[in-house]
Amino acid sequence: MVYKAKSTLPFRVELIRQIRRKRTLVAYSFIIALPLLVASAVKFGSSGSSSDRFGSGGLDLIGLATHSAANFTATMFYFATGFVLITVVAIFCGDTVASEASWSTLRYLLAAPVPRTRLLRQKIAVGLTLSLGAIVLLPITSYLIGGIAFGFGGLQTPLGTTFNATIGIERLAIMTAFLALSLLFCAGIAFLMSVTTDAPLGAVGAAVGVVIVSNILNAISALGSLRQWLPTHYAYAWLDALTTNIDWTSMVRGASYSLIAFAVCLAGAVVKFGRKDITS
Amino acid sequence: MMRVSLGIMTSRRLQIGAIATLLVLLGMIGSAIPLQATSKNRINVTIEGAGVSLDATLYLPVKTPAPAVLLAHGFGGSKDSVVTEAKTLQSRGFVVLAWTARGFGNSTGTISMNSPDGEVADVSKLIDYLSTRSEVIRDSLHDPRVGITGGSYGGALSLLAAGYDARIDAVAADITWNDLQGSLFPQSAIQVKEPGPFKRVWTGTFFSIGALGISKKSPQTSSLLCGRFSSEWCSAYQASVAASAPTTDISKLMRASSPSSIASRIQAPTLLMQGESDSLFPLSESELTATEIRQSHPADPLAMVWHGGGHDGGQNESKRLNNLVGDWFDIYLKGEKKIFPVFQVTQSAAAISSQDSAPEPRIFTSSILPMDATFTPLAIESGKGILLAPAGAAPAAVSALPGFGSALSLAGGFGAFLPGQSAFFDSLPLTSPIVIVGSSHVRVKVTSTAKDATLFFSLVVRTASGRTVQPSGLVAPVRITHIPVNGVAFDVTLPSIVANAAAGDRIAVGVSSTDLGYSMPNDGRVYTVEILSPGVEVPTLPLRSLPGGSSIYLWPLIAVVVIALSVFWVLLRRPPRHDPYIEQVVGSEKVPFVAVRNLTKTYADGYQAVKDLSFSVERGQIVGLLGPNGAGKTTTLRMMMGLIFPSTGDIEIDGVPIYPGSPALAELGSFVEGPGFLPHLSGRDNLDLYWRATGRSGDAEIEDALDISGLGSAINKKVRSYSQGMRQRLAIAQAMLGKPDLLVLDEPTNGLDPTQIKAMRDVLRDYAASGRTVLVSSHLLAEVEQTCSHVVVMHRGELIAYGTIEEILNRTGKRAQHLEDIFMELVGNDTEIGL
Repeated sequence: MVYKAKSTLPFRVELIRQIRRKRTLVAYSFIIALPLLVASAVKFGSSGSSSDRFGSGGLDLIGLATHSAANFTATMFYFATGFVLITVVAIFCGDTVASEASWSTLRYLLAAPVPRTRLLRQKIAVGLTLSLGAIVLLPITSYLIGGIAFGFGGLQTPLGTTFNATIGIERLAIMTAFLALSLLFCAGIAFLMSVTTDAPLGAVGAAVGVVIVSNILNAISALGSLRQWLPTHYAYAWLDALTTNIDWTSMVRGASYSLIAFAVCLAGAVVKFGRKDITS
Repeated sequence: MMRVSLGIMTSRRLQIGAIATLLVLLGMIGSAIPLQATSKNRINVTIEGAGVSLDATLYLPVKTPAPAVLLAHGFGGSKDSVVTEAKTLQSRGFVVLAWTARGFGNSTGTISMNSPDGEVADVSKLIDYLSTRSEVIRDSLHDPRVGITGGSYGGALSLLAAGYDARIDAVAADITWNDLQGSLFPQSAIQVKEPGPFKRVWTGTFFSIGALGISKKSPQTSSLLCGRFSSEWCSAYQASVAASAPTTDISKLMRASSPSSIASRIQAPTLLMQGESDSLFPLSESELTATEIRQSHPADPLAMVWHGGGHDGGQNESKRLNNLVGDWFDIYLKGEKKIFPVFQVTQSAAAISSQDSAPEPRIFTSSILPMDATFTPLAIESGKGILLAPAGAAPAAVSALPGFGSALSLAGGFGAFLPGQSAFFDSLPLTSPIVIVGSSHVRVKVTSTAKDATLFFSLVVRTASGRTVQPSGLVAPVRITHIPVNGVAFDVTLPSIVANAAAGDRIAVGVSSTDLGYSMPNDGRVYTVEILSPGVEVPTLPLRSLPGGSSIYLWPLIAVVVIALSVFWVLLRRPPRHDPYIEQVVGSEKVPFVAVRNLTKTYADGYQAVKDLSFSVERGQIVGLLGPNGAGKTTTLRMMMGLIFPSTGDIEIDGVPIYPGSPALAELGSFVEGPGFLPHLSGRDNLDLYWRATGRSGDAEIEDALDISGLGSAINKKVRSYSQGMRQRLAIAQAMLGKPDLLVLDEPTNGLDPTQIKAMRDVLRDYAASGRTVLVSSHLLAEVEQTCSHVVVMHRGELIAYGTIEEILNRTGKRAQHLEDIFMELVGNDTEIGL
């Protein structure tokens, strides 16, 4: 019998362990159901003309939602950025180690032995993969549902310009990429909490709580430029991808900030977990 | 600065006015005497101007002497309408002198529209006054260090004063005119000397403000007509309006009151600010002033700000502009070193707000001024537009109106382009996005059924979705006379705008025959308009977003550094790993299979769970680990599994030390403190995935393990549905996967029925018989006695007995019947958890 540390807890095995969980199914179903729900509410809603079916029908993103598949997708991003995607990422990355602790499986994995750093590496790899899956699934389903409901037209922006379908998809891809990067901070916090506590809900709740507090502080304009240090300050920077000449500053800052927070949290998780007495 | 110069009289202002009138009377006794110190840092004074008394307030900063700033107000305002600006500059360390211009508020005299020997001469008197104040830094005896700033009416005065009085050291002028006649009778046809159509609505609004002031005080009908305007200006104005064209008199007056007449003499560093929402004094006014200043003094510091505001409203950026003015004076009055971009421009809808996804402005900078923009020719569809100008000039298009800006044309019901009265000349769809900053040029050919033509040109963006956007509702009026029958060709300067267009959008030249804001011919006529090659030439500038583009690399750089530091930190803080045990007894050939040496575990709270524990286990043994609750059994087993770090001492399996992830653990199968399974998977999947996660090659002998578990068909059901006993047996089966050399079982018989206990006993015996080792912790002494070959007894974390069952039973000299007797003797009744 030969033991190889590098073949412990293979990605595939961890993926199967996680993907067959009910919460994975629920999260993915929700991501699919959300655009379906919004689209049917708009499409079959009883109120008057098409222009005032939704939002102000005017110059903001929500008002343009029914313009095309691309617009609908951008609107879904707008709805999902603040809470839905945050929660999904927090679940996938926050619950992963803590739930093993609560099932008592963590000690058997570690005694297998899966080296601790490797366990975290495989865990975060699968957590991020599932998160990315959800982040990518949202625009794909939104685009398809939006296309069926409102047609596969170009992307009209609140600034009055209209991109054709090809550029529209390109812009949506940029938004998706930014969203994925900007949610890393949430993944990092959730993961750090996950190795800190044995309660899965506590880890997820803590990450979501940080986001909520950050959002509240970000809404207080009296804090001025201090707010740029809040983790969610650049959460909506993907809106810049709707401008003709994309100004990358905010998106680059947001993504960098997110990467920094992720790196620090991940390092903290590795250090903490590496020295921790496992008593679960 | 006054953003929109429509002053509104509030009751508070009237009160202040009453008090100030009294003060003026007192002030007659002697000029420049502080009359009432409203506070230590704010002094109301009356200053003798050029033949008038000026009501003024002096704001003193905390630290004096300091440079001074003269703060002029907008048309219809007073020194009280610039309090915010004054306080901003005061807090930034300037002595601020705000005064009410002649003809307004409590200052005496009549309005002469910033004439050189009127308002401009007053400024020189104010500078004289400042040179007498000890709080103001002086460059020489009668020359204080002084800047001047103001908006609109006050902006023009600032520029004029800087041209006439060389003592002024810095200027910041906002939303003001370069040439009054050019603003009120705008002519956008290049090299046409005749004045353009009369901007009647704006002009009327502007002049009526000046006429309002006096009505209460002198109710004579004649003064109602002129208000506080000087009789010279009043009569010239009346005559011009009647003629819808400037008279010679008013041309002369307007010329004298225009910065363009004196701009060539401005030597002070000049900051020119202009609003994009301004149909009264459009952006091009600042371009003209800048060009004139630069021609005569090319080396002088000159900067320009195009902001989102203006006389039409637009975006309120007053806070930012006040700070910019402060920066400008910091640099050129205090000599501070600050970066000030040559050109800043606000794109009113350049970004999308993260608050509500609505359009929001963004500021861009450039190192060159808009006059130096690069022109890009855009081909325009050929074709002729036929436009009707109706008799009586009604209905008329509405582009921008005082107080409403371009809001009316956007709101619907009114239109900037009326059918039959307008034409569009489109470019091809753009292949790449473009930001237009400044005035575009186009060459047109016009015919008219009359001898003359009045036309309104604009540059519009037509989006792919069919929207036509006329930036800020700005139009470029053209009035051409003596047109030959076959038409006349001329160049038109289109409105100076800031606009962006996406790929796919079209840039178009819009032409309208009417505009409600202007005087138009009263007779009906038909025009034809043609765009000549090379089409429309649009100005573009290299723009950088504010803050500067260089910092875009800063954050990713920080990210890279932090990631590197994080990796370094992780490596530095790796968990303690005991060095492989160095054989202490040199020459000793026999290494025990499991060696526990001087093992101690002290928790953070000081609780010592295990104290100096040493024992060894050989292959083929079944060792029972005994002890009451809290004896440290489980802690010992967890340390053996690499889950808990020993405080001191170590454990080796087959000579290999145990630490988290130690390869020695691959030889260890464990079941400690209850089973652990994924509840959403079946028993079989759990074992299968666990085996695949262990990183061990070789046969797992899963079927054997499943036999041991005795779960039968339940093995394919989800673990969630299992009973405690079923989970227990599955967990023991999992521990045996791959037949590890050492099997560690913690209370394996808990929850098993007697038959299962019997079966378990056989399983363990068989397991040891194959040369493997079993370590069982239990409190069932009888069970241990029946199964185990060796016993380790622990109490309060310490080893109290260690040996074969026989040795333990014979411990006291006479053989004991049962382990229980010995155990009770060793432990006594002291079974409470040790502290």
